[in-house]
Amino acid sequence: MKGILRVAEAHLRTALREKITLFWFLIFPLFLLAILTLIFGNMGTEGEISFAIAVVNLETDTAGPVDFAGIIEGVFEQAGKPSEEGKEPLFAISSPASGEALEDFLASEKKATRFGDRAAVIVIPEGFNQCLLHRMMEDGPSSSANCSLAIYVNEGSAASGMATSIIDQILAGVERDLLTRMGRFQEQKAIPTETLWVGSSGTEVRYVDFLLPGIVLMGFFVNGLFGVPGSILFARDKRVLRRYWVTPLTVTHYLAGFSVGHLMLCLVQFALLLLLGRFAFGATVTFFQPMSILFLLLAAITFLAFGFFVASVAKTANTGMAIANILNMPMMFLGGLFFPVTGLPLVLKAIVFVNPLTYLAKGLRVSLGTEAGTLSVSIIAVPLVWIAVCVAVASWRLSWDVER
Amino acid sequence: MRSFRALLYAECVIFARDKAALTFTFLFPIIFVLLFGFLMGGMGGAEGARLGLYMPDGGRGEVLEEVLAGIGLISVTHYGDQFALQDALEEKKIDFGLVWDGERLLFHYNSTRVQENYAFQQLATGIAAQFNLSHQGLFPILTAEKIHVGKKASTGWFSSVVPGIMAFSILSAGLFAVSGHITAMKERKLLDQMIVTPMRPIMLLSAVICVRLVIVYISTLITLLVAVVVLKLGFTIAWLRYTVFVTSSTVGVMGLGSLIALVVRRPSSASHIANVVSMLMMFLAGIYFPVEIMPSYLRALSKALPLTYMADAMRYVTGVTEMTEARFWGITIAMLVLAALLLPLLGRYIVKPDRG
Repeated sequence: MKGILRVAEAHLRTALREKITLFWFLIFPLFLLAILTLIFGNMGTEGEISFAIAVVNLETDTAGPVDFAGIIEGVFEQAGKPSEEGKEPLFAISSPASGEALEDFLASEKKATRFGDRAAVIVIPEGFNQCLLHRMMEDGPSSSANCSLAIYVNEGSAASGMATSIIDQILAGVERDLLTRMGRFQEQKAIPTETLWVGSSGTEVRYVDFLLPGIVLMGFFVNGLFGVPGSILFARDKRVLRRYWVTPLTVTHYLAGFSVGHLMLCLVQFALLLLLGRFAFGATVTFFQPMSILFLLLAAITFLAFGFFVASVAKTANTGMAIANILNMPMMFLGGLFFPVTGLPLVLKAIVFVNPLTYLAKGLRVSLGTEAGTLSVSIIAVPLVWIAVCVAVASWRLSWDVER
Repeated sequence: MRSFRALLYAECVIFARDKAALTFTFLFPIIFVLLFGFLMGGMGGAEGARLGLYMPDGGRGEVLEEVLAGIGLISVTHYGDQFALQDALEEKKIDFGLVWDGERLLFHYNSTRVQENYAFQQLATGIAAQFNLSHQGLFPILTAEKIHVGKKASTGWFSSVVPGIMAFSILSAGLFAVSGHITAMKERKLLDQMIVTPMRPIMLLSAVICVRLVIVYISTLITLLVAVVVLKLGFTIAWLRYTVFVTSSTVGVMGLGSLIALVVRRPSSASHIANVVSMLMMFLAGIYFPVEIMPSYLRALSKALPLTYMADAMRYVTGVTEMTEARFWGITIAMLVLAALLLPLLGRYIVKPDRG
């Protein structure tokens, strides 16, 4: 028992002393959690996103009963101011320089949209006020071009698409407001809109709560895939293992100690991710419940076994790392850790189907309430089959000493 | 010249034998393109969204149906009861659901589709706004016509990701050529052995640069080919600009690699730093998602990264987006200047005694 604990301690100490291990197993998952939460955590939240747009008001006739063009321009100007101090405005609105002709300004803004420097340019045409007034009095839709705003967009730009959908929402609000003021839309008869979140939590799952289990599994996976064959094969190639075998320590004791050390490293990794997620990004997901703990343990053991499998099929440490590198990306991305895996061709579907990460990610997320569904037998059975196959292959093939 | 040819040959052989370098240079960009192409090809918007609809007897179905037909971007599946709709939503058979009971519009979302719900909610807001007008017998008065600007037709979101991945592969290959390969030679004292021969450091440097340039160029072509053949994406490549840009950006990032090699204490740390730098740039350079969705401080950081400009220029030379001539040549020349300023430092690094 003492020997096992010593090997576990040695494994953990070595891992924590190695800069490369420290980076990939501890720092990188923390970095990924932080960067993805910072980028996607507040997606769509006003004050966090901002699009560069221009509003060009070509209407010259403002003498009518209502200056609709001025109202629309004013609404967008308002959206160009921060909703509260310290926050960013939804739109950064560019205006013509003093003395610049509107046509010249429009031409330069359209060019800026072409080159991706503006997300959209809204143009209010000349004759808009009169046309809109007529349209409001009519019963049917008008086909006059003067009533229609022109929105210049760059369809190849994702930012343009996002900005356009926000502009549409703002215009819908303005339209409803105008119709209400004209007494045509009856606000008291408006159809209320409600939202229902389907899923075990019953509320919208926050991005950090969705991401955190995925990053924890990624950490365990990378730890098993690179850490286990790396440690064993380098120790074997550098004849460190040979020194163990001249002590009373048996392979079984070494294996047990190594596994305990690996699980301790996973525990350190998990604790750091949980602390960062909870205290820096406000994650509320609760890992401390029986099913979640079971899946965390199952994941750590599956990837430990998988690491032994990679070590057993590689002749040298460098080959082991090359195999791990090739397996890493496809398994990680086709395990549904970060994106949903749907609509794939048959070959990739097959990888998803046999990938233990698919089942572990689903199992952990379902147990945490961040994914809808039920815990079927396959969710536990597939990782167990992987453990059995990996252990069988490793005990058959893994060599514990360099060939003499 | 003979010694240069020998060095060129040696560099080619070293590269061909280096499994890790081969994997990172040729296989990774392809894996990235294929995986992200299949996984994320349909993501990023509400186009083609699948709506589940349930209308109990009270709902004025025909008005809603008309509105949904007018939206055009969505496919609608009818359900016989609310539970069937919710089950379909949980099983991701539909993207979002709507129940119209004659009194309210109840939109259903799968709470776990955190990355996609934003687009579905935007779509739902549009449906609700139009339905409210139609329900009171009104027509939209404030219409807006979307006009695509630019000479090039819309190329779709993933078409702009592929050149980004190519720019990232240039960055990795260039950084690791110096921070991985030359620092490894330094660590193994190979450089010390070479500088006592009549070979000049510039020869070695030129051989490394030449071999890496050719390899990076071939790698970007293979990545493009895979994107065109497998993912059926279309690119209009301006070959001269493409060649000039790939060359300038490769030597430019090799210059950055020299900077990393010079600032780290131990040569072996250089590749780890290069890893961190390239990962950071990958997330912040707007390759996989627009920088506009990031908080302002990350957007500012993005503007300071060479990869942001490399990805923009690569999208331009592959015909995905437009760019002014001045901007393109500005980026290309900036990369050459970076190389001209930083690569001589690498020459000094080669002859400098190891501090480790």
